[in-house]
Amino acid sequence: MTLAAFLVAGGGLALLVIAALGLHVLPDALTRQHAATKSVTLALGLVLAGVGLYAGDAGTWVRILVIVALLVATLPVASHMLARAAVASRNRPEELAAAPRYRSSSPTSTGPTR
Amino acid sequence: MSGAALMVTMLVVGALLALTLAVVRLWRGPTAADRVVALDVVFSVNVVLSAAAALGTGRALFLDLAIGLAAIGFVSTIVWARLVAGATEEEP
Repeated sequence: MTLAAFLVAGGGLALLVIAALGLHVLPDALTRQHAATKSVTLALGLVLAGVGLYAGDAGTWVRILVIVALLVATLPVASHMLARAAVASRNRPEELAAAPRYRSSSPTSTGPTR
Repeated sequence: MSGAALMVTMLVVGALLALTLAVVRLWRGPTAADRVVALDVVFSVNVVLSAAAALGTGRALFLDLAIGLAAIGFVSTIVWARLVAGATEEEP
Protein backbone atom coordinates (compact mmCIF):
# COMPACT_ATOMS: atom_id res chain seq x y z
CA MET A 1 0.00 0.00 0.00
CA THR A 2 2.85 2.36 0.84
CA LEU A 3 4.67 1.62 -2.41
CA ALA A 4 1.45 2.21 -4.38
CA ALA A 5 1.00 5.53 -2.57
CA PHE A 6 4.53 6.62 -3.49
CA LEU A 7 4.09 5.57 -7.12
CA VAL A 8 0.72 7.30 -7.54
CA ALA A 9 1.80 10.50 -5.80
CA GLY A 10 5.13 10.54 -7.65
CA GLY A 11 3.35 10.18 -10.98
CA GLY A 12 1.02 13.02 -10.06
CA LEU A 13 3.94 15.23 -9.05
CA ALA A 14 5.73 14.48 -12.32
CA LEU A 15 2.58 15.50 -14.20
CA LEU A 16 2.35 18.70 -12.13
CA VAL A 17 5.95 19.65 -12.93
CA ILE A 18 5.36 18.84 -16.62
CA ALA A 19 2.27 21.06 -16.56
CA ALA A 20 4.33 23.91 -15.05
CA LEU A 21 7.00 23.30 -17.69
CA GLY A 22 4.28 23.58 -20.31
CA LEU A 23 3.75 27.17 -19.21
CA HIS A 24 7.23 27.87 -20.59
CA VAL A 25 7.39 25.49 -23.55
CA LEU A 26 4.07 26.35 -25.18
CA PRO A 27 4.04 29.49 -27.30
CA ASP A 28 1.05 31.62 -26.20
CA ALA A 29 -1.68 31.97 -23.60
CA LEU A 30 -4.30 30.03 -25.54
CA THR A 31 -2.12 26.93 -25.65
CA ARG A 32 -0.75 27.44 -22.15
CA GLN A 33 -4.20 27.12 -20.62
CA HIS A 34 -4.27 23.51 -21.83
CA ALA A 35 -1.21 22.73 -19.71
CA ALA A 36 -2.59 24.70 -16.79
CA THR A 37 -5.97 23.02 -16.55
CA LYS A 38 -6.26 19.61 -18.22
CA SER A 39 -3.10 17.99 -16.97
CA VAL A 40 -3.34 19.69 -13.59
CA THR A 41 -6.73 18.02 -13.07
CA LEU A 42 -5.15 14.58 -13.49
CA ALA A 43 -2.04 15.57 -11.53
CA LEU A 44 -4.00 16.80 -8.51
CA GLY A 45 -6.22 13.71 -8.64
CA LEU A 46 -3.18 11.42 -8.59
CA VAL A 47 -1.39 13.33 -5.82
CA LEU A 48 -4.48 13.40 -3.62
CA ALA A 49 -5.11 9.69 -4.30
CA GLY A 50 -1.52 9.01 -3.22
CA VAL A 51 -2.01 10.99 -0.02
CA GLY A 52 -5.25 9.08 0.62
CA LEU A 53 -3.55 5.73 0.02
CA TYR A 54 -0.80 6.67 2.46
CA ALA A 55 -3.06 8.04 5.21
CA GLY A 56 -5.75 5.45 4.61
CA ASP A 57 -8.46 6.58 7.01
CA ALA A 58 -12.05 7.34 6.08
CA GLY A 59 -12.03 11.04 6.96
CA THR A 60 -9.10 11.69 4.63
CA TRP A 61 -10.77 9.81 1.79
CA VAL A 62 -14.05 11.74 2.19
CA ARG A 63 -12.23 15.08 2.06
CA ILE A 64 -10.14 13.96 -0.90
CA LEU A 65 -13.26 12.89 -2.79
CA VAL A 66 -14.81 16.30 -2.08
CA ILE A 67 -11.68 18.09 -3.38
CA VAL A 68 -11.47 15.93 -6.52
CA ALA A 69 -15.19 16.38 -7.24
CA LEU A 70 -14.79 20.14 -6.83
CA LEU A 71 -11.77 20.21 -9.13
CA VAL A 72 -13.41 18.07 -11.82
CA ALA A 73 -16.49 20.29 -11.69
CA THR A 74 -14.63 23.61 -11.77
CA LEU A 75 -11.42 23.22 -13.79
CA PRO A 76 -13.15 22.71 -17.19
CA VAL A 77 -15.09 25.93 -16.57
CA ALA A 78 -11.85 27.68 -15.63
CA SER A 79 -10.26 26.29 -18.79
CA HIS A 80 -13.05 27.73 -20.91
CA MET A 81 -12.82 31.14 -19.24
CA LEU A 82 -9.02 31.20 -19.60
CA ALA A 83 -9.37 30.37 -23.30
CA ARG A 84 -11.84 33.23 -23.70
CA ALA A 85 -9.45 35.59 -21.94
CA ALA A 86 -6.55 34.40 -24.09
CA VAL A 87 -8.50 34.83 -27.31
CA ALA A 88 -9.75 38.25 -26.27
CA SER A 89 -6.30 39.49 -25.25
CA ARG A 90 -4.69 38.68 -28.59
CA ASN A 91 -3.60 41.90 -30.19
CA ARG A 92 -3.09 40.84 -33.80
CA PRO A 93 -6.35 41.40 -35.67
CA GLU A 94 -5.84 38.67 -38.26
CA GLU A 95 -5.58 36.08 -35.48
CA LEU A 96 -8.57 37.59 -33.76
CA ALA A 97 -10.57 37.30 -36.99
CA ALA A 98 -9.64 33.62 -37.31
CA ALA A 99 -10.64 32.85 -33.72
CA PRO A 100 -14.19 31.77 -32.83
CA ARG A 101 -16.48 34.65 -31.94
CA TYR A 102 -18.41 34.62 -28.72
CA ARG A 103 -20.55 37.70 -29.20
CA SER A 104 -21.66 37.35 -32.78
CA SER A 105 -24.72 39.47 -33.46
CA SER A 106 -25.91 37.47 -36.46
CA PRO A 107 -25.58 33.73 -37.18
CA THR A 108 -23.83 34.43 -40.49
CA SER A 109 -20.78 36.07 -38.91
CA THR A 110 -18.96 32.87 -38.03
CA GLY A 111 -15.51 33.87 -39.19
CA PRO A 112 -13.50 33.74 -42.40
CA THR A 113 -13.70 29.99 -42.89
CA ARG A 114 -16.28 30.26 -45.69
CA MET B 1 13.86 9.05 7.39
CA SER B 2 10.43 7.59 7.97
CA GLY B 3 7.91 6.94 5.25
CA ALA B 4 5.69 9.90 6.03
CA ALA B 5 8.63 12.29 6.09
CA LEU B 6 9.85 10.93 2.76
CA MET B 7 6.38 11.35 1.26
CA VAL B 8 6.06 14.91 2.58
CA THR B 9 9.56 15.78 1.31
CA MET B 10 8.74 14.41 -2.15
CA LEU B 11 5.46 16.33 -2.30
CA VAL B 12 7.02 19.61 -1.11
CA VAL B 13 10.02 19.41 -3.45
CA GLY B 14 7.88 18.62 -6.52
CA ALA B 15 5.33 21.28 -5.61
CA LEU B 16 8.01 23.93 -5.05
CA LEU B 17 9.56 23.11 -8.43
CA ALA B 18 6.19 23.57 -10.14
CA LEU B 19 5.52 26.68 -8.04
CA THR B 20 8.82 28.25 -9.13
CA LEU B 21 8.05 27.64 -12.80
CA ALA B 22 4.52 29.04 -12.41
CA VAL B 23 5.73 32.14 -10.52
CA VAL B 24 8.33 32.83 -13.21
CA ARG B 25 5.55 32.74 -15.79
CA LEU B 26 3.39 34.91 -13.51
CA TRP B 27 6.23 37.42 -13.29
CA ARG B 28 7.25 37.48 -16.95
CA GLY B 29 4.04 36.60 -18.83
CA PRO B 30 3.73 38.87 -21.86
CA THR B 31 -0.05 39.23 -21.68
CA ALA B 32 -2.43 39.40 -18.76
CA ALA B 33 -3.99 36.09 -19.87
CA ASP B 34 -0.62 34.36 -19.30
CA ARG B 35 -0.59 35.68 -15.77
CA VAL B 36 -4.10 34.40 -15.08
CA VAL B 37 -3.12 30.94 -16.40
CA ALA B 38 -0.05 30.94 -14.14
CA LEU B 39 -2.21 32.01 -11.18
CA ASP B 40 -4.42 28.97 -11.76
CA VAL B 41 -1.35 26.72 -11.58
CA VAL B 42 -0.22 28.48 -8.38
CA PHE B 43 -3.54 27.70 -6.71
CA SER B 44 -3.30 24.05 -7.82
CA VAL B 45 0.21 23.81 -6.35
CA ASN B 46 -1.14 25.25 -3.10
CA VAL B 47 -3.66 22.41 -2.93
CA VAL B 48 -0.74 19.95 -3.16
CA LEU B 49 1.19 21.81 -0.45
CA SER B 50 -1.87 21.77 1.78
CA ALA B 51 -2.25 18.01 1.29
CA ALA B 52 1.43 17.62 2.20
CA ALA B 53 0.82 19.65 5.37
CA ALA B 54 -2.11 17.38 6.23
CA LEU B 55 0.10 14.31 5.81
CA GLY B 56 3.02 15.82 7.71
CA THR B 57 1.07 16.98 10.75
CA GLY B 58 -1.54 14.20 10.72
CA ARG B 59 -4.35 16.75 10.92
CA ALA B 60 -7.24 16.45 8.46
CA LEU B 61 -7.87 20.17 9.03
CA PHE B 62 -5.39 20.97 6.25
CA LEU B 63 -7.50 18.97 3.79
CA ASP B 64 -10.46 21.22 4.66
CA LEU B 65 -8.10 24.09 3.87
CA ALA B 66 -7.40 22.46 0.49
CA ILE B 67 -11.16 22.36 -0.22
CA GLY B 68 -11.33 26.09 0.46
CA LEU B 69 -8.24 26.73 -1.67
CA ALA B 70 -9.75 24.85 -4.61
CA ALA B 71 -12.98 26.85 -4.36
CA ILE B 72 -11.21 30.22 -3.97
CA GLY B 73 -8.84 29.36 -6.83
CA PHE B 74 -11.78 28.63 -9.10
CA VAL B 75 -13.56 31.87 -8.22
CA SER B 76 -10.43 34.00 -8.58
CA THR B 77 -9.57 32.41 -11.93
CA ILE B 78 -13.09 33.10 -13.23
CA VAL B 79 -13.04 36.70 -12.02
CA TRP B 80 -9.58 37.50 -13.42
CA ALA B 81 -10.36 35.78 -16.73
CA ARG B 82 -13.59 37.75 -17.10
CA LEU B 83 -11.73 40.95 -16.20
CA VAL B 84 -9.00 40.30 -18.79
CA ALA B 85 -11.51 39.30 -21.47
CA GLY B 86 -13.77 42.27 -20.78
CA ALA B 87 -10.95 44.79 -20.61
CA THR B 88 -9.78 43.97 -24.12
CA GLU B 89 -13.16 43.26 -25.71
CA GLU B 90 -14.48 46.72 -24.96
CA GLU B 91 -11.70 48.46 -26.86
CA PRO B 92 -12.89 49.95 -30.14
